Amino acid sequence: MQQGGNNNEAFSLKTRIKRLKRDVNKWSVFTLAIVFFLALPIIFIGVELFSGPGETWGHIVEYLLPDYIWNSLYLVFICSILVLIFGVSSAWFVSRYDFLFRKQMEWLLILPLAIPSYIVGYAYAGIFDYGGSLDLLLRQLGLEFIRIDIMNRAGLAFVLSISLFPYVYVSARAFFLNQANNLLEASKMLGVGERKTFFKLMLPLARPAIVAGLVLVLMEVLNDYGAAKYYGVNTFTTGIFRSWFSLEEPQTAVYLSALLICFIFALILFEKWQVRKIKFTSSKTNSTQIQRNEAKGAVQWMIFLVVFLPILLGFILPVAQLIYWAVITASTVFDMEFVMISLQSFAIAIASAIITVLFALILIYFSKWSTLSTIKNISRIGVLGYAIPGAVIAIGIMIPTLALDKWLINMLGKFGIDTGLIINGTLLALLYAYAVRFLAVAYNPIDSTALKVDNSIPDSSKVLGVGNIRTFFKIDFPLIKTGVFSAVILVFIDVMKELPLTLILKPYHIDTLAVKAFEYASDEMVMEASIPSLFIIFTAMIPVIFLNKLLIKK
Amino acid sequence: MLTINSLSKSFDKGKTYALENVSFNLKAGQVCAIVGESGSGKTTLVRLIAGLERPDHGSIAMNDKIIASLDKFIQPEKRKIGLVFQEYALFPHLTILENVLYGISKVRNKKKKAQEMLDLVGLSDMGKRYPHQLSGGQQQRVALARALAPEPSLLILDEPFSNLDTMLRTQLRNEIFEIIKKTEVTVLFVTHDTQDALSVADEILILQKGKVIQKDVAANLYVKPNTLYVASLFGSTVHINKNLQNAFRCPLKQDCCHAIRNEKIIVSPSSAEADCEYITAAQVIKQIQLGDSTQLVLKLESGEQLTVMTQDKNIADTIYVGFNSKDILEFEQE
Repeated sequence: MQQGGNNNEAFSLKTRIKRLKRDVNKWSVFTLAIVFFLALPIIFIGVELFSGPGETWGHIVEYLLPDYIWNSLYLVFICSILVLIFGVSSAWFVSRYDFLFRKQMEWLLILPLAIPSYIVGYAYAGIFDYGGSLDLLLRQLGLEFIRIDIMNRAGLAFVLSISLFPYVYVSARAFFLNQANNLLEASKMLGVGERKTFFKLMLPLARPAIVAGLVLVLMEVLNDYGAAKYYGVNTFTTGIFRSWFSLEEPQTAVYLSALLICFIFALILFEKWQVRKIKFTSSKTNSTQIQRNEAKGAVQWMIFLVVFLPILLGFILPVAQLIYWAVITASTVFDMEFVMISLQSFAIAIASAIITVLFALILIYFSKWSTLSTIKNISRIGVLGYAIPGAVIAIGIMIPTLALDKWLINMLGKFGIDTGLIINGTLLALLYAYAVRFLAVAYNPIDSTALKVDNSIPDSSKVLGVGNIRTFFKIDFPLIKTGVFSAVILVFIDVMKELPLTLILKPYHIDTLAVKAFEYASDEMVMEASIPSLFIIFTAMIPVIFLNKLLIKK
Repeated sequence: MLTINSLSKSFDKGKTYALENVSFNLKAGQVCAIVGESGSGKTTLVRLIAGLERPDHGSIAMNDKIIASLDKFIQPEKRKIGLVFQEYALFPHLTILENVLYGISKVRNKKKKAQEMLDLVGLSDMGKRYPHQLSGGQQQRVALARALAPEPSLLILDEPFSNLDTMLRTQLRNEIFEIIKKTEVTVLFVTHDTQDALSVADEILILQKGKVIQKDVAANLYVKPNTLYVASLFGSTVHINKNLQNAFRCPLKQDCCHAIRNEKIIVSPSSAEADCEYITAAQVIKQIQLGDSTQLVLKLESGEQLTVMTQDKNIADTIYVGFNSKDILEFEQE
């Protein structure tokens, strides 16, 4: 028998190169091209850094930057505490106890996600204003109105937290429901009480899931523009807008963007560090459902209040305020132009949802077909856009497209063709930006359903003589339809709600509901903002409920 | 028909090998079984042959044409190899007939052909059903019909019976190979069960830790196993280590490994009745009834423990065990 023999040879450089030559195929090249295309905005920001800072940079560093950093840190810190309190407590109670209206509250707790933070911000401003809803209510009751000023940093932190806590709620609840039962039973058998079980066992175990939800929240906090602008708080994002629109200094916007990206990567590293040693979640979920304790008497009411409070603050109050305003302003706002804007919003959201899902499908399947394992890893870079704030992506697209257009106009001008801007300020740039920003939103549900299809199924198809593309249409696609469908819906909702990126990149003559709401609010017509806001909320709400039902069924 | 030459595959860049330097040939029309434990590289080997993995070294040729090597790779869809997966991998959203039709969409009279295949596997009137409406054994036969429909020159069965219970397994195995014999296709049949291999294969290839240990016809594997591992795969075997050699006072060649088949160990009530060269007295510590035979745990004179089988019903407390030198299996030291 021949022994060992070719071992050293099989992984020598020469054989590796030979194999690489054999294994590189068109799919590897396409995957790399698409990843590059999706990463372009970020690459451009990196490249632009080398052209040096703008004129006002020194001024900004001296007077504004400390404010940006301090405010962003403040928001990150306070929002973390608040969303953890709201998210974890509600998740624990609904998965551990049975009480009045538990089933309804379980999905009501997700609904705040249907309201963009800036709209929650407008609503709360209305509630606490002089002559606002609270004022009116108290005067009806014959009480003195003590004004609480919320148009500041603390108010902003509250508004962001109450609208974003469901991210933590959803991931914590998923953990409590799927992973925790046998451990809970073990703890019970060891005679450990409820409170100790929660703090000593469940909380540490759920940490990776909770931190994952928290990081999503903080990305959204740093992404926010509308609420911070309205509350007059200077953050990185408002700074980027100011340097772009008011100071008209792109370089400064680029420098701020780069700093913000560093800030976010620090957050991501923090998450990785948090879960580095601990991989608690076992891959197999327990078949036994968690056993709920039935809460009675005073305990029931206490739990009810704890769970109801975030629903009240995050959904019922803001929506009530908006409906109140909508009734007042309906006659002035609701006109033909508004209908057109709604239709434009829908059309843009649907188009970008489809484009984004196509990108996600291409990225997932091309990297799978490329047979090189490194390509699969590289393809994950394409998903990073979700971490990058919309304003930053917009700047990263604006600068190169302006340059490209200038070049095209020059070139075509020589032939006497006058085209105007081709890419910049057109729908093309906007759709591209949405795809970059929301790729992860489409990628994750598709990827997880694709993972459930055993490899042997597409493999059988190939062995039966059918190539990759036909296999995809005949076998893979029918089997991952539900994942693709939820991906389309999720991107649709996110695009409907999106504000900062749209504000920078939208074509001049096109408006979306989000932009319209923002414009009303900026023009001291916050009441009028209510109708476009409610439209966004209702379109976002229906799929949120629908998707939650789907999740529960599974 | 199939020629495999020093084939290697590693999934961790050469730290460990799933398959190392594997070479063998397969003649047309043969049924060859690949036997090995889980982790021995069986599945990797068939995936390489089918084109679902790419080799790190070596080559695979079919009908004298290279289909995979360091600089050549024929896509799986161009190889004309039939593969039946362990988990059947039927397309869940297609009917049985559509499943069988899938690989022959370009063939003339494809409907007729597909129906013929269903007739062949005895599922003539199941065409309109969906895979989940069928039993495990029926799904297995659909998978076979689907793989055979494009008339592959090589059919690979990857652990086709491991998802079935023992009773069904024997019956289905016989049925499946009845069907396969009618088609005269060359078969590569992966299993961890030696009974499966013995009952249907012309030749058996033993894989251990990614290496080919032995490839031979069944009878030879029993009589002339290459290693102790192969010997114990095809019948319970006792390793005659140094201590046992002392116990039986049978000095054997150094640098070699020796063993004896359990059924060749002679158990007898007295030393006079036993007809063997090496013999020793033993105390019966434990008797375990296993249906028609009895397992005895013995303590030899030297203090060594030994487990043997006997058909005798009446066992005294002290007995004699022994064996003859002609029955000793000798291997090179592992």
